[in-house]
Amino acid sequence: MAALPIALNAAQAALEVASSEGGNLTLDLLKQYAPESVPAWILPLTAAAVSVGIVVAVIALLALTSVWLERKVSGHIQCRYGPMYAGGWHGWAQSIADGIKLLMKEDMIPLGADRALFVIAPALVLGAIFGAFVAMPLSPDFFFADLHLGAFFILGMSSLTTIGVVMAGWASNSKWSLYGAMREAAQVVAYEIPLGLSLMVPLIVAGTFNLLDASAGQSDWWGMGWYIFKNPFVLPAGLLFFVSSLAETKRAPFDLPEAESELVAGFLTEYSGIRWSFFFMEEYAAMYLMSLMAAVFFLGGFESPFLHFAKAAELPVIVCNLIAAVTLITKSMIGVIVMMWVRWTLPRVRIDQVMTMGYKYLTPLALLCVLGAALWEAGKVLIFE
Amino acid sequence: MKTTISARELTTPREWVQNVWDGLFTTLAGMRITGRYLLRKPITIQYPDERMPIPDRYRGIHYLEQEKCINCLACARACPIDCIEMDAIRHGKELEWVSFSVDYQKCMFCELCVYPCPKDCIHMGTEFAFVTEDRSELKHDLLSFKGMSRDARVRKKEAEEKKAAKAAAKEAKAAAKEAQAASGDQPKEEGDDG
Repeated sequence: MAALPIALNAAQAALEVASSEGGNLTLDLLKQYAPESVPAWILPLTAAAVSVGIVVAVIALLALTSVWLERKVSGHIQCRYGPMYAGGWHGWAQSIADGIKLLMKEDMIPLGADRALFVIAPALVLGAIFGAFVAMPLSPDFFFADLHLGAFFILGMSSLTTIGVVMAGWASNSKWSLYGAMREAAQVVAYEIPLGLSLMVPLIVAGTFNLLDASAGQSDWWGMGWYIFKNPFVLPAGLLFFVSSLAETKRAPFDLPEAESELVAGFLTEYSGIRWSFFFMEEYAAMYLMSLMAAVFFLGGFESPFLHFAKAAELPVIVCNLIAAVTLITKSMIGVIVMMWVRWTLPRVRIDQVMTMGYKYLTPLALLCVLGAALWEAGKVLIFE
Repeated sequence: MKTTISARELTTPREWVQNVWDGLFTTLAGMRITGRYLLRKPITIQYPDERMPIPDRYRGIHYLEQEKCINCLACARACPIDCIEMDAIRHGKELEWVSFSVDYQKCMFCELCVYPCPKDCIHMGTEFAFVTEDRSELKHDLLSFKGMSRDARVRKKEAEEKKAAKAAAKEAKAAAKEAQAASGDQPKEEGDDG
């Protein structure tokens, strides 16, 4: 619940930044090439529509791919093949077939449900996660909103999904859904703290909330100056961030809000068809969001020796951008695969164990990491300057 | 429900560090195991496309070597639950097949029908998936063709021709014998003709 004012503040900050700097590639392009006769107020709207279209398309594609990937990974971990038929090569079209099936299912709203909230909840969840993606740069020169408080904005927007989940659980008029929603609320409140604190560690090292600046700060040492190598406290903070992001994205072993063997499907119990698939898509989008954050703040962002030598060889800007984007997507893809790997390794923990882990272990450890990193950086300043 | 926690149940700092260590390293150990499974070849096979090898003495749906069968009913008589029915029309030595059905609603795949066969022509096959949309189709006809086989038709024709040729030869012989007799005894021959 505390996420709402944070998100609103972040949105306010984003609006101020966007209005002052106009950090949007599509808007710049439109301003450059639009004819004189077009009224000025249309340009930002068009730029917003185009940006949203690109973001939605990219996330939908990533979500579809990772649903297929998850099924393949889970299959191979269990010594089977997973989907093999749909589309021909290793069942690549399975997610598309599933999507078409979900679109054609009956749109059901249970009797006694709060219809308005029931309908709004999936849209809110998906909208919040898409909103978070707006602040995520795809390459150094291709971004939709270059925010000074990018990390803050993304954390705020991804916390907003919790409100959608609680809304869905409350509106469903079902005991399972309500239990799922309560668990989600408890879990997210517990894990927001270590998530934010562990992200503070690379932020201290980077000295900026801006994702582009944070990524550019890792370009020394032939592109290997990643924050996990620059400060000994960033690696444990990265592990804490990974564990907290698992809980934040409701992934096993922290999938207590869904908990299909205890709560039928938790807050998703009464949802079906395309509304259900909105929640599903949000889960995979959130996985990518968290992995992208981890890639930007812990694992070097766009920077890698490839990009370093591409820049040294003075390749065209578009090639450098392409290499940067591929590097970032690859790093986040590895993060997503590790999340799947963990999911199919560990059984689900109990709710009291989740609470214990969040409050008694992750939060103190994250505080220790913040303290250590701050002292380390201060010591560096004192000794070398 | 307990409302107080005694000091002994609280985690000591030493246990706390041990728990963090255990949590990290048991997870890594588990991930090492699942990672090994992730990289090995799956043990399942793509069933309808490829199949597991079936043992030689597997007892599946019967198959019948219809050419060899002599419709002796030995298998039908051996069947403990009377699920084999057969019908054929006999033309001399050849058979015109009408039906040879096994009712798989009843059949228990005991293989007792296979042993008494004098021609060794009914066997237990390797096919195990037998699915129909209607129960009546479970009464499965094992015949690969109805009526007579091409070979049987040829053999029957050959046998008939042989029989006809034999009859013709016999007739010719009889005629020749009579002709010989007629040359010695003309009036009798004429008398017979008349």
